[in-house]
Amino acid sequence: MDKEFEYYAILGVTSQATLEEIQSAFAALRAKIPQEKRDKANNPAYARLVNAYEVLSNPTRRATYDSLLAETKSLESINLVVTTSRSRIKISDAEQVVYLLLDILPPEQDAKQLPLNLSLVLDKSTSMQGGRLSHVKTAVELIVNKLTPADTLSIISFSDRAEVVVPSGKVENPLAIVGQLRGVQASGGTEIYQGLQAGVQELRKADLTRHTNYLILLTDGHTYGDAAQCLELAHRMVGQNIGMSAFGLGTEWNDQFLDDLVAPSGGQSNFVEQPHEIVQHLQKRIHGLGTIYAQNIGLKLNLHRKVSIKYGFKLAPFSQPLIIDEETVYLGNLEGHAPVSVLLELKIGPNPVETRLNLNLEVVADMPGPQLRAQTFKHTQQLYVLAELGQEMPPEKIVEAVRVMNMYRMNEKVWQEVEAGRLDVATTRMQHLSTRLLEAGEADLAQQAQQEIEQISRAGTMSLAGRKKLKYGTRALIDKTQLGNNKQ
Amino acid sequence: MIKCTECGSSQEEGSLFCGECGGFLLVEAGKITAVLPFSEFANRPPPPPLNQDALAPAQAVQKVTLVVPSSRRRFKLDVQDEVQIGRASSELVPEVDLTDDDGAEKGVSRLHAKIQAVQSGLVLIDQDSTNGTLLNNYRLPPHEPYPLKSGDEIRFGDLLVHIFLTDTRTD
Repeated sequence: MDKEFEYYAILGVTSQATLEEIQSAFAALRAKIPQEKRDKANNPAYARLVNAYEVLSNPTRRATYDSLLAETKSLESINLVVTTSRSRIKISDAEQVVYLLLDILPPEQDAKQLPLNLSLVLDKSTSMQGGRLSHVKTAVELIVNKLTPADTLSIISFSDRAEVVVPSGKVENPLAIVGQLRGVQASGGTEIYQGLQAGVQELRKADLTRHTNYLILLTDGHTYGDAAQCLELAHRMVGQNIGMSAFGLGTEWNDQFLDDLVAPSGGQSNFVEQPHEIVQHLQKRIHGLGTIYAQNIGLKLNLHRKVSIKYGFKLAPFSQPLIIDEETVYLGNLEGHAPVSVLLELKIGPNPVETRLNLNLEVVADMPGPQLRAQTFKHTQQLYVLAELGQEMPPEKIVEAVRVMNMYRMNEKVWQEVEAGRLDVATTRMQHLSTRLLEAGEADLAQQAQQEIEQISRAGTMSLAGRKKLKYGTRALIDKTQLGNNKQ
Repeated sequence: MIKCTECGSSQEEGSLFCGECGGFLLVEAGKITAVLPFSEFANRPPPPPLNQDALAPAQAVQKVTLVVPSSRRRFKLDVQDEVQIGRASSELVPEVDLTDDDGAEKGVSRLHAKIQAVQSGLVLIDQDSTNGTLLNNYRLPPHEPYPLKSGDEIRFGDLLVHIFLTDTRTD
């Protein structure tokens, strides 16, 4: 809290002080100020004193002030924990790398239970026919049964146009909802924008400030000609306090598009390989959504001019690469009992002389209270550039996280090489990745990598299924480390 | 710049893993012990065995102590040519007989492995044992020689043994 507003401290009394105590404290302090300096316009110290007294001596104003104070205190308990791979680096004419791990931890007090305002936006294009659609229906049934009557739900189905299957409403009759869902038949193309727009419209029928608002998209195809509109809508949703996650079913959808779609709100995009896995993916995503410590967490980085971010990766509550090019990087909600963890790879420019580099981190978040209030939490991490260094071991959890992130990035590089037509480079890299996966005990992924090597030499590209399996498989490896969130 | 010891590519100072081959960059520098987070070392392919040229017979006797922590037994051996490790049977009593160390229960084969003295030192060779031999948590392929250092940890099946070498050379 700003010093200007620490009224009790200014008067030197406790927050339990009686009116008489406040009055006599004020009189004593005032007496120390010479008559000619008792000028609010020209003496800021006197102005502060008078202001503090005016607030605290008025019972109504004091009560308001006290309640604000209590709220601020309870909100200050969100913890930012910053760990770096090194706290000191050597002076150098070359660029260096430092890894920074930011854990945003929930406060110790109980979380605010905000009712859920959920919209399920389901693809019913022709390709969803049969097993896929029926598994989606089963998954939704299970979710509906997990919601409480306080929660609000809407269900949209879309093909080349959207249809509101279940309009926004409280989940009072799960059976009726399930019945409405049964009638959905697969037909038509895939235009995701139609579905998203209808979903957002339904979400907005509830009071967005009193719910955890979330849209879950499930699709199995490329969207048709409306990708730009979708991304624009995704950006607008952040401002409306609506989170979004997206799941791609099968292999015919555009993974980059879904990554981009959820990036603005810090949501999750994931690959559902087999229809029967839909249930577990959706349940995992819903889990914890109603228990919210902070919503719409944004990370602003104000780094020393010689420091830039090369890569960002969210490790928890689910793994997701971050798109860093905007001023504020959104990280989603602080939900359940899991921290939000972010790993950043920082590039440090040449520093030929000893110095100290300040890394200012600012986390903004909407804190649920009687009303949502935007709060800012700050942390400054210092990095010393020195001529002589002792030995310093990187913390083990950073090593683990970087190991996994590196595997994910190796796979992404293979794809870039394939797209650029450098097939020999791609093959060599994939061979390396396969070895690393085997070392990590990931025999299935390693084997998939081997298959893709053959596929590249035979067909000049990776298989759609293999590409997604490796992309999301390496991404999910973080869940198996101590930083992952699979131990709930 | 630091050089990746596995693929030789140059990586920026402070990198932890090689961007090219994924190798851990701090291992060789001895700065940190590699900790594999979510795997068993045993799943890793072991380092390559010594090639046959390095296996010229040794000139001198080498003194070795094997320590079995579970039974607190010590075997002091002079290795001239080779010593057999296993459990005594009617056909053969190996020099290192682990019968009394619960060898059978812990999966030690009758002829489990051997230690051979060669010019470059000592090597451990698994004799195609039923439950395998692990050297420092790497599973050894059978019949391949792997160099031993003082302090190495060996597992014959489930039985842990530490090996200590006493250098008899004077240089």
